[in-house]
Amino acid sequence: MRAAGLFAGSIIVAFAVWQFLSTVVFNPFLIPPPLVVFKTMVPMIENGEIFRHVAISLARVGVGFITGCAAAIVLGVMLGRIKLVNDLLDPVIELLRYLSPTAMIPIAVIWFGIGETSKYFLIFWGTFFIVLINTTAGVMRAPVIRQRAAECLGASELQIFLLVVIPSAAPYIVTGMRIAMASSFMSIIPAEILAADSGIGFLLQQSSVLLQTNRIFVALLTICVLGFVSDRLFRIVVDRMLSRYMSYISLT
Amino acid sequence: MGGSVLLAVRNVRKSFGENADRYLALDGINLEISEGEFVCLLGPSGCGKSTLLNILAGFDRASEGSVDFEGAPVRGAGRDRVMFFQDAGAALLPWLSAEENVRFALRVRKVSKAEWPTIIDKVLTMVGLKEHSRKFPSQLSGGMRQRLQIARALAVEPKVLLMDEPFGALDALTRRRMHGFLLDIWQRTGKTIVFVTHDIAEAVTLADRICIMSLGPGSRITEVIPVALPRPRDLADPSAARIFKHVEKLLA
Repeated sequence: MRAAGLFAGSIIVAFAVWQFLSTVVFNPFLIPPPLVVFKTMVPMIENGEIFRHVAISLARVGVGFITGCAAAIVLGVMLGRIKLVNDLLDPVIELLRYLSPTAMIPIAVIWFGIGETSKYFLIFWGTFFIVLINTTAGVMRAPVIRQRAAECLGASELQIFLLVVIPSAAPYIVTGMRIAMASSFMSIIPAEILAADSGIGFLLQQSSVLLQTNRIFVALLTICVLGFVSDRLFRIVVDRMLSRYMSYISLT
Repeated sequence: MGGSVLLAVRNVRKSFGENADRYLALDGINLEISEGEFVCLLGPSGCGKSTLLNILAGFDRASEGSVDFEGAPVRGAGRDRVMFFQDAGAALLPWLSAEENVRFALRVRKVSKAEWPTIIDKVLTMVGLKEHSRKFPSQLSGGMRQRLQIARALAVEPKVLLMDEPFGALDALTRRRMHGFLLDIWQRTGKTIVFVTHDIAEAVTLADRICIMSLGPGSRITEVIPVALPRPRDLADPSAARIFKHVEKLLA
């Protein structure tokens, strides 16, 4: 209850500061005051414009994120478990991970055009390395004691892998996914600004060209809410489905 | 007690590393352990007790010499020798309840499902965790976690329990209680126990025989001291005190 009150308080103060900066410090064109932004937002909500952009951006993030996670978990488990694979691929990964999705936009446009594929690729790219590194770390850190204990109880290699190593790595994998999700919401924007004709990033770009700062602010607010809500949803799903794997982090 | 020889260790040498970095941990270990016997390996930290135990378990291989279990050479971790770790929090599966941890052991040991409820009930009752069967390891005290580890081991009916300083992390009072508890289990089930410790009092309290190991490199069993005293033992008792003093002198 107290936390909720403080949360609301923090938001209210932020709006007050926003209003102050907009009307007193700068001017309402550069920083449109909250009320103007909401007035701009209402028709965009009513005619569904904002939802169209949100849906498109979400679909891009969704496809890139899910395929990126799937590929990263499969490869990450192999890297963590098979030394030869790790020795062969680790140097390459250590270099490639510094290519952010933004750095890959120009080449992605040449490879895949400005259609959906290039956006899927960029989100995939960003997600892949974050989840990969976390998965590998998690698999490598599955306690040897736990694996040995299972082994002398009679567990086969496969059972140790599926029933001991993977669940032990779950908290790392989930943490990686959560970070990757936040990063996906960040990297979809430059991708859409530079190479798209729809989506939140495109809305930002288009409004900027037309000097519509109020519409830019609507788009920015939408990004904030979208990222926040998706992270909360992610946490709720994890709590529901994986809490028994997550809760023990506090134990060791 | 004094049954047939169950574990026979002959001239076991173990070294780690290669060439200049080569470290000789064990140098010519000879030891025979009979069925139903309670043997303590006692020595200072770093004397290779755990190394020897890992070889007995099959996690590690001797560089030279042989280890036979029931007349056949030990190859890999065997189902008849269950290792028991000091860090129960790591050895247990923290995402499974007490009951599910035992069930895991029965599952990997391929015990038929029809027998599970009876066995789970029996071993959890034996270690006094029946009322806590739904709790997760993180909700159990240190002593209870160790008892759960014992229950899980007993469920798969091993012939030998290999214990690596199992009570080293417990407070003195809990440790005393665990000694009584372990002796009770040992007397009721007739398991063979190889127990590693650096605590003289613990060894004198528990063992049929105390094998004293010298400090490495090139650790050996320097002395074997039989402790033919009735249990429960009181260290203040003159005959127990005499053995304690004797062992203390040997280790000084």
